[in-house]
Amino acid sequence: MSEEKTTSRRDFVMGAATGVGVGAIGAMGLYSYTPAAYRRFAKAPRGNREEFGAVRRVRVTNISETSWFDNGMLMGDIMAAGGLLVNQYTIGWPPFGNGKGIAKGSFESGLESIRKMIPGDLDEAWALQTKLGVHPENPGGFSCLIEVESLDGTIHKYLLDSGWSFDWMDKAFKREKIDQMLAAHDIEALFLSHEHWDHFWGLPVTLKYDNRIPIYVHSGYYKEGLQYIGASGHKGKLVIQDKPIEKVIPGMVVIKYDVPIINRVFGETSLAFNIKDKGLVSISGCNHQGILQCTAYMRNNLKYDNNKFYGIYGGLHISPFEDWDPKYDDLVIALRQYEFEKIGCNHCTGVITAHKFVERGYPVVKGTARFRSKTPDYLGNGDTIEF
Amino acid sequence: METDGTAPGYLESRKLVKRWSGPWPALANTLLLAILFYATWWIFQDPRGIMRLYTPYVGYMYCRWLLIILIWVAYIFDFWPFRRGWIGRTHPVVKGLVLTAFSVAVMLLIIEGFFMRVLGDYGISYMSPDRLEAMGITRFYALEYATEAIMMFAVIASWLSPAWVVAVENAPWGKLPQPTRGVTIMLVTFLFSTIVYFLTMHSHMAILFYPWQQYTAITPGYWETFANTVSGNFHIGWIMCCTVTVWLYETIWERYPFNLIQTDWLRRLTAFFGIIAIAVALCFFLYYTQDLVWGETIRGTKRLMAPDWRWLHVGEMAIFWLVPMLFLNFYCGNWPTRFSRPVNVLLRTFITIAAAIVLYVVYYKTAHLFLGVQKGFSHPQQFPMIPTIWLINIMLINMWFMDGWPGWKAVPKTTEELAASHQEIVARDVKWSPALGVGLAVGVVGGVAIYVLVVAVLPWLGQMVTIIEGST
Repeated sequence: MSEEKTTSRRDFVMGAATGVGVGAIGAMGLYSYTPAAYRRFAKAPRGNREEFGAVRRVRVTNISETSWFDNGMLMGDIMAAGGLLVNQYTIGWPPFGNGKGIAKGSFESGLESIRKMIPGDLDEAWALQTKLGVHPENPGGFSCLIEVESLDGTIHKYLLDSGWSFDWMDKAFKREKIDQMLAAHDIEALFLSHEHWDHFWGLPVTLKYDNRIPIYVHSGYYKEGLQYIGASGHKGKLVIQDKPIEKVIPGMVVIKYDVPIINRVFGETSLAFNIKDKGLVSISGCNHQGILQCTAYMRNNLKYDNNKFYGIYGGLHISPFEDWDPKYDDLVIALRQYEFEKIGCNHCTGVITAHKFVERGYPVVKGTARFRSKTPDYLGNGDTIEF
Repeated sequence: METDGTAPGYLESRKLVKRWSGPWPALANTLLLAILFYATWWIFQDPRGIMRLYTPYVGYMYCRWLLIILIWVAYIFDFWPFRRGWIGRTHPVVKGLVLTAFSVAVMLLIIEGFFMRVLGDYGISYMSPDRLEAMGITRFYALEYATEAIMMFAVIASWLSPAWVVAVENAPWGKLPQPTRGVTIMLVTFLFSTIVYFLTMHSHMAILFYPWQQYTAITPGYWETFANTVSGNFHIGWIMCCTVTVWLYETIWERYPFNLIQTDWLRRLTAFFGIIAIAVALCFFLYYTQDLVWGETIRGTKRLMAPDWRWLHVGEMAIFWLVPMLFLNFYCGNWPTRFSRPVNVLLRTFITIAAAIVLYVVYYKTAHLFLGVQKGFSHPQQFPMIPTIWLINIMLINMWFMDGWPGWKAVPKTTEELAASHQEIVARDVKWSPALGVGLAVGVVGGVAIYVLVVAVLPWLGQMVTIIEGST
């Protein structure tokens, strides 16, 4: 009797142990990816959206969107240096070249070579780096001027990013009279969207004309980046943004995204504006966080006029190296439902993406393909867009 | 050179005996694994190291193909063309070096010879980096695209090749001598891999190029609506789960419960398709867990919130489970073993899930500090499958090629031990009884309850726990 009980108990336990697996796996398979399982998400609230005022209009002048001029050369360098994960400061590009060649650069040795020349003598610094750096003919840079008209009519000017090549950016600044605006302290702040070479390494060019300009950076900047800001002669206020949303003026905020980026960079910030009676406009350097992620975040966290996402400007970081991945098609397909009124794109958006946008009839603002920009399908160097 | 097809394979015929009592063998081997892993990672993969193959697809391709070759050498070819006598008497370290070098040579021949030269130059242009580059694609992406395609073959084969051995039990060619058996099974699984590749990844590759290559492939893929993405990552998710489930079934589950089926053909068919069914369930669940923790996906966006990345991450999560699964089986004697098989299987499942969660958290908190990879979950160049499979490759080399040296040594199994190991293929230790039926019913309810509890807790956990600041 006792043995029977033991057997029976043992069988029960074996059955139960098997049943747990069957029940759990069955539920996983039959429920997890069904409409029933996703009903809970439909009730998700839109979030506590923040009022941040409004502005009358925003005008963007594209100082330079050509961050580099030869994709093959840039990717060849990255590949030779070890791929997309290598530390950008070690690739050997100017201004952190040290004459040792590809993948043998270092922040310290590169900076040491130009430390005494920045920001005062950029011509000499760049001339030296054309000897020490890898492919010095390739760098250009990304930078744009943002002019914001407040509701009271006051005009505020800001710079987003400072490009890469000292030589190219200085010429681009002069072409758009940014040098004069900086010297006259007309530009109220410089927002460095992220630490990448083509947005950040041209910082001495801005500081050459105004070394007291307030600078905003993402808290993910590495110690090298923060050191470079100081070494470039910056004497003004440095805002290392920790908060997800930082107000600048009524109707304008900086939004921080914690996102890992190629070549050991972490984090990007974007600007958002509420345009009176029109809606929200987002302006970004590269949108590494993803334009739709950016859109979704702003939609959930900001209150804006018309409840409409009116427009976007900047690099949308889809096919920056004219590479492609099917997931980018997901973006091209899904973008329609966001119903932007104006899309101003360039730079790391990629020419292929711009072609695909145009083919699908999206409201992409065309450009003039001047000053070495590659296509009129998007806003090129010297072009402007107004929201 | 042919070997007898009726004799047990080398892995089946040997018994690994601890060289020392207590935990020392496991500790010694763990130390060896760690040293080998980090040294080879630095030499071959690390973006700060010597060869820097982690681009990521170039390194990923080699990593996946090496895994396949190891499976072919040990499981499918039973170490042919190496003689059993040599395998039995050679020092494990020498054997490990020779067999690994042989595997690498075969791997290079297949990748550089068959895929890039034969297929790439005479059949499918996207398999050839040179052809892509000649058509205007930068060298970097020409290599990435070609290696991605070649790597996907390996992903599929790393499910089908072991599945043929483990689930289908080499049928109907199990009794053929080597190399006839090995060649036959390799060709059959390669054929099936090719078919699965065209059904799952060819469309993905076709839309990599502008404009979509609609005359050579279905564009976009048929799965678009179901998976909410045109990316082939959807397939990577369930196929990786298939791979992991094959090894789950082979190692800590000891082929339970399908080995209870006494009829050969029925057991083999049930095991093969049962593994797929379990894998699909696992795939859907792992996808759902991400949605519960991070919120519903936004199609078209990047990284953490993108459906394509979530499907990829399904495969990554599954691989995090495979590591402790193999470790428990190889180095911990498949502990625990004192209870009945179903209870042992359940306990091992819980133990390895817990260990996988720990490994997952530790990896994402620390990998960027010592592997040279990018911080964050979803960076396009963050592929935890590369270091985890790299580690698995080393574990397989250690256990299959080196007989578990230094902690273990191989001795031949006795006739009784060989008969006992056959119990794993066809088991009779669990028989139907009313008590078992009641237990099964209660267990099913318990299993569903566990599922409901996990699903209820995950959103809260997502709010409370931050593995990486910003969770990207």
